[in-house]
Amino acid sequence: MHTEKPKHDFEPKIIAFVCTWCTYAGADLAGTSRMQYPANVRVLKFPCTGRIDPVFIIKAFQQGADGILISGCHPGDCHYISGNYHARRRFAAFRKLLEFIGVDLNRIQFSWVSAAEGGKWVDVVTDLTERVRTMGPMVEFKDLALEEQWSGGLNSPDLQEIYEAM
Amino acid sequence: MTQPIDISGYTRITESIRTEAKRILSDGTVSAVIGYTHVRRKGSTQPILITNPDDSEKLFFSEGCLNNLVVYLTKSKKDVPKTGKIGIVVKGCDLKAVVGLLGESQLKREDIYLIGVPCNGVLGSLINPATELNTKTIAAKCRECTDRMPVGADFVPPVELAAMPQMEATYSDKIAKLEAMTPSERWEFWKEQFSKCIKCYACRQVCAFCYCEQCVCDRNRPQMVEQSPRPSGNFSWHLVRAIHLAGRCVGCAECERVCPMDIPLNLLNRKMAMEMKELFNSEAGFEVREKGPLNSYDEHDDESFIR
Repeated sequence: MHTEKPKHDFEPKIIAFVCTWCTYAGADLAGTSRMQYPANVRVLKFPCTGRIDPVFIIKAFQQGADGILISGCHPGDCHYISGNYHARRRFAAFRKLLEFIGVDLNRIQFSWVSAAEGGKWVDVVTDLTERVRTMGPMVEFKDLALEEQWSGGLNSPDLQEIYEAM
Repeated sequence: MTQPIDISGYTRITESIRTEAKRILSDGTVSAVIGYTHVRRKGSTQPILITNPDDSEKLFFSEGCLNNLVVYLTKSKKDVPKTGKIGIVVKGCDLKAVVGLLGESQLKREDIYLIGVPCNGVLGSLINPATELNTKTIAAKCRECTDRMPVGADFVPPVELAAMPQMEATYSDKIAKLEAMTPSERWEFWKEQFSKCIKCYACRQVCAFCYCEQCVCDRNRPQMVEQSPRPSGNFSWHLVRAIHLAGRCVGCAECERVCPMDIPLNLLNRKMAMEMKELFNSEAGFEVREKGPLNSYDEHDDESFIR
């Protein structure tokens, strides 16, 4: 029943921040309905999209995410009445900030997926995975994590001089 | 071309501030007055809190009075007495911070007595405090200032504002330049800027809106923002700072002034303020409002970026 999986050189890591009431249930529905979607997505369950802090996105990028998906209930369907409305404003602002800093917004996807939309979940995840796959790995934040504060390089003439003088 | 800026009004403002401070302290309207005072270095200033009417002679106002004194009214500055009514000297930009804090229930209007200062601008820095105020040495925030007259203060010295020469807007120019770059160029720009950061947190210390008892950046279980001054932690800190101030920052530019590494912090804040205006038609500091743009919502907000 499983179709042959194509081999890729690069398998992106997608972190999905989802709300437990809608999108998590939607993803569950996709699973129980035996729909196939890329296994690149790592789902993190939150009580509500309103709980998802922009700092989680930065943290995810630093820890090696290539793409981010944030998904929750459709407007008006929030279990906590207004959590997704607040999240919508917060992420509208945060994506502008990321854009200004120089992050490619194609790596971040926001969507509304309800508990009944298993098919939409599959579409969203597949789209994002394929898009990020063509973009290649997200190196900016990972490089930062490896970089030290010293901007001159560890084998600079200045340092060599100091070392020899010691 | 540098043009001098007329600040002849500042001597009369100084006199008015002194008499008003003396009056409100001696008749018991306020228990203390926060203002600016001279220091030994000519032209330099520092904040002062006076409780004795005789000390009001120490107060003054000049082009070197850069500090936003409103930060001393917040709960993060515990050594300033918070009992009784407190008088405070505010410029137009500082007044907007008061308005913001009133809206966030950090201050009560009846607990403060505002001595507003009609302001022709202040110096960009006090590194050479005795310099003349002109279109070159003026602070970047003053170039595009629209709030020279404090509106809604309890006392404003009766001084006419001198006309200001035309000056180009520093922040909007820089933002437009950055926006015209490609994402990777912008990333390189900010990487270079943020790599300078030494995590001294002077920007947080001096900000009137960073009054949290515990900052998310100081928490370590779980640690969301790396605390050591390394590039990745610096990025998180500055992004978190920008998003937490979005819709609240009134642009007093104190963060940028106190930064020992000269990181253009106010650029981020101005950019977010522009976005807030564009997205939610909201500007900080003009009216006391209970909810800012990011803790309120409209059911018809734009969601073109969501699918």
